[in-house]
Amino acid sequence: MNGRFFSLTVWALLSSLALPTAGAAEQNGDPRKTWKTVAELSETEKARLDLRVDTPRDTTIPYLPAEAYPFEPPYTAEEMGYRAMEFPHIARWSHAMADVFGAITSTGFLDEGITLAYSHYIPDEYGVPGQLSMAPGDAYFRMVFFYTYPPENQGLQDLWILRRTDKEETTKLDNFIYSPNLRRVRRQPQPRRDARFPNNVQTFDDVVGRDAWEFSWRLLGTDVLHETIRFPNTRPTVTLATPDGSFNEVPSDQIKMLGDTYPHYTEDGGVSCYVVEATRKEDWLPHYRMSRLIYWFDQHSFYPLRIEQYDNDNQLRMIEVRNAYLANPALEERGYAGLFTLYYDLALDLMSYSAHDAHWVKKWAPEDRETMFEPDFMRRSWLKYPLKSQSLVYSPEKFFLRPHLDLDKFPQDRNVTIPTELAHRYRLQEEAGHLVFDSSSPLIEVKAPQ
Amino acid sequence: MHGKRGFLPVVSSVLGGLLLLAISANVSPCYGYFMDKQVDKVVNAWSRFDRFLSTFDPAGRYVRQPVERQVPALTFRGFLRQWSDIQLSGDRRIGNRQKDFRFSQMQNLLELELHYQVSPNIEITNINNFMYDSVYNWQDSAGLFAPRTSETFRAYHNFERIVRELYISYRTHNLDVVLGKQQIAWGKMDGQFIDVINGMDRRESVQLEASDYEWRRLPAWMANVTYFFGANSLNFLWIPNFEQDRNPVPGSPWYSPLASPRDTETKAILDGRQDATGDQFRETKRPSTGDFGDHQYGLRLDVSMEPLTWGLIYYYAWNKNPTSFIVDRDIDAAGDPYLIFQPRFTRLHHLGITADYASALSNMPLVGELPIVLRVEGLWTKDVPFADFDHQDRARDGYLNSGIIRRDTLRAAIALEFAFPGNTSAIIQPSLLYTFDWRRNLGGGFGGGIGDEMSLLPVMFIGRPFRFTRDRLRLELTVVPVISLPQKKWQGIKTKFVSSYRFSQFITGRLIYTAFSSGDRTDLYGQYNKWDNIGWELSYEF
Repeated sequence: MNGRFFSLTVWALLSSLALPTAGAAEQNGDPRKTWKTVAELSETEKARLDLRVDTPRDTTIPYLPAEAYPFEPPYTAEEMGYRAMEFPHIARWSHAMADVFGAITSTGFLDEGITLAYSHYIPDEYGVPGQLSMAPGDAYFRMVFFYTYPPENQGLQDLWILRRTDKEETTKLDNFIYSPNLRRVRRQPQPRRDARFPNNVQTFDDVVGRDAWEFSWRLLGTDVLHETIRFPNTRPTVTLATPDGSFNEVPSDQIKMLGDTYPHYTEDGGVSCYVVEATRKEDWLPHYRMSRLIYWFDQHSFYPLRIEQYDNDNQLRMIEVRNAYLANPALEERGYAGLFTLYYDLALDLMSYSAHDAHWVKKWAPEDRETMFEPDFMRRSWLKYPLKSQSLVYSPEKFFLRPHLDLDKFPQDRNVTIPTELAHRYRLQEEAGHLVFDSSSPLIEVKAPQ
Repeated sequence: MHGKRGFLPVVSSVLGGLLLLAISANVSPCYGYFMDKQVDKVVNAWSRFDRFLSTFDPAGRYVRQPVERQVPALTFRGFLRQWSDIQLSGDRRIGNRQKDFRFSQMQNLLELELHYQVSPNIEITNINNFMYDSVYNWQDSAGLFAPRTSETFRAYHNFERIVRELYISYRTHNLDVVLGKQQIAWGKMDGQFIDVINGMDRRESVQLEASDYEWRRLPAWMANVTYFFGANSLNFLWIPNFEQDRNPVPGSPWYSPLASPRDTETKAILDGRQDATGDQFRETKRPSTGDFGDHQYGLRLDVSMEPLTWGLIYYYAWNKNPTSFIVDRDIDAAGDPYLIFQPRFTRLHHLGITADYASALSNMPLVGELPIVLRVEGLWTKDVPFADFDHQDRARDGYLNSGIIRRDTLRAAIALEFAFPGNTSAIIQPSLLYTFDWRRNLGGGFGGGIGDEMSLLPVMFIGRPFRFTRDRLRLELTVVPVISLPQKKWQGIKTKFVSSYRFSQFITGRLIYTAFSSGDRTDLYGQYNKWDNIGWELSYEF
């Protein structure tokens, strides 16, 4: 009884912390509500949407919609899912970047690294059509990761060769590593698609993206997001690099969700999103550790700003939030790439982040294409295009805040249970404006119910 | 002797401390709210210490970073490692060994690695190792006297051992030229199959692990040229400088208890109190760097045909261990015949293959998709010299001969690696050592069965990190049984259990239990069944 009362108190407390801003609320008619279910959408809003679940199929590949990519309004939820495939964690075009990453536990144990990533998108055509132009089993993307930090990983290299999959061709990745200690390139089994990387929240599929045809899609409604990645008040600026090696000090509160050039921000700086549910198809993804995802797609480019993952008991297990920007203007609305990504595991209270710094859109020279993306190249330990980054967090106190839990949104479709202990930590964070690790902090005032 | 008494309490304390560390590292400070205040304080104190440790990198901050700022073309890194093994058996005589020591190693190793980028295509690399093993000074042991034979067992004291690698590399898209002192790893299995280029410091004998090859290989001066064409490459090695294997010497912790004479006798000979008796051995003849005909050559072709990659190797090399040829016979004062041996290195032709293939098994029970990798390595060696004890007996009887016969050998392994849920990886690696046209009364030879026609070593490995420690704790178990046929049958089993814990991304601790069980006292592992030990490694990388 007391426990239930306490949970409700915590629920109410967290709900109050997850309040949307007033401007967005006014858009929805309710002073506290930024989201709408499908039933609440206006006719104008519905005009851009095709609410059918069963739509005509492509004649040659039955798991694709019949309508030609990139689709025209009105959009089905499935078509949005296909459009969002343009935006996996790693930008879907040839480029180089410094990928800065790290994880922090609830006690503040911080682990960070930097890897220089070189990516070569193989098809002649960019984006999802390029992937679909390859036969199942064929490689469409090659990525080399050269670790430069911490010292224990310096010189370590990874080569990922991504393959298009279907029900018969299930191998998604050829994986090779070069270990300076081993001094040889060694082929590795592909990571299990649903397994988290060690000491991280994200899985292999979170990094390389999921194929829309492995899921059933349903529109839940719309929402206006005002914040995804949250910087603590202890980190007022972030140092970002350019490919030429120069650094810019950027105020962290000026980093917008979709960059400075995104033309569709609401008056109060929000981004209007479609909220779409993707449910795993058992025949495509048997024994997968996650039952469904809920995406917040920006309504114009379908960039996923927030992704929630639910386990097979339908509990919210992971929240991914992103900041992006138009990194490849030539591709227009398909040219957005992630700048910061934060993954949050609610059960472990573990967070990991990734910052894609010094992004450099590349057209690889033929000799680079032929050598740099082959397994044997790694043993040369030749860092051909060194990039630098200073966007490591360095200090546990400067780590990103836990993302908004948004407990009030879409309650009929979102099952979010927060342990009381986590609720306390979350409240401490919200009050302090940064992560709080110490239970003796004077900020702790919550009393157990009598 | 230090370390003899109170051993179990010490081990218990270490284990208990590590357990407490692992548990407390994962107790959230907010649990403290529901706990007693004292517990709360301890948890918070640990939490603060843990946070401090996670970014504790003094050498990186005060040495590496300033140096790299001053010299931007220089990359500088290194590590400091304390590496000790304590034996679980007490004092006793085992075979010819006087095993009155508890610590079999207490090594302190500092590695400094420097890379200087002369231009985008040219780089100079230098790796230095400074090692001191305090087992010989810290213990008052009659059985440990190896520095009298070779100071290298106690400390790296000369250019050869301190400057491990020093080379200049020139790279273009199609060509790599690396000139200087370096080590080359051609193998990637658990154990050495085609990894034959460099000699190895085998001071740890049967305890030498694949994970230590990096620091145990003996780099050599060579030219290493690789031509890349498409996804394939052709590698050519010219090695004027020969480095042999360095095996345990008398008075070192892992010197075989089967080797005669006894320690007391060896020390008496070293002291000049006694003359060596029995067969006589002349000074070993070594290949000459100055003689072009004595140089070694290697060739390797690697081909990528995704998802299959394969390679072929050829190595015209010297045997890494000398062979003792009978050169004369004589009669001692008592009228007994004895033989005079000339140890020398012999030429070998190695031909090898390597291949690996990746796939994923679909719809497996319980686990669904199961990614796997298949690796194969094989090495056929021609005309390996073997001591023939029948021939030696005939030589003693007056029919002088070399005491050696030559046989071809094959050593090969197939490894299957599985990626199970929870980042659990498992490897099954059946390995084979085989002597062609084998016969009884042969000694040992490169690549052949261990005292027998063939030896089978089905290596099994399983390892996984633990999520409740945020993957900071990782446990690994490796089991290596040895079966030799047709004579020796079961030769014992080696079990290695490793528990590693990441105190931070700079500091790692490992606790290692190694056991050699069963097998006869003359068998590969059986002879070391009193050498079971617990080791620990503490490593700081900067």
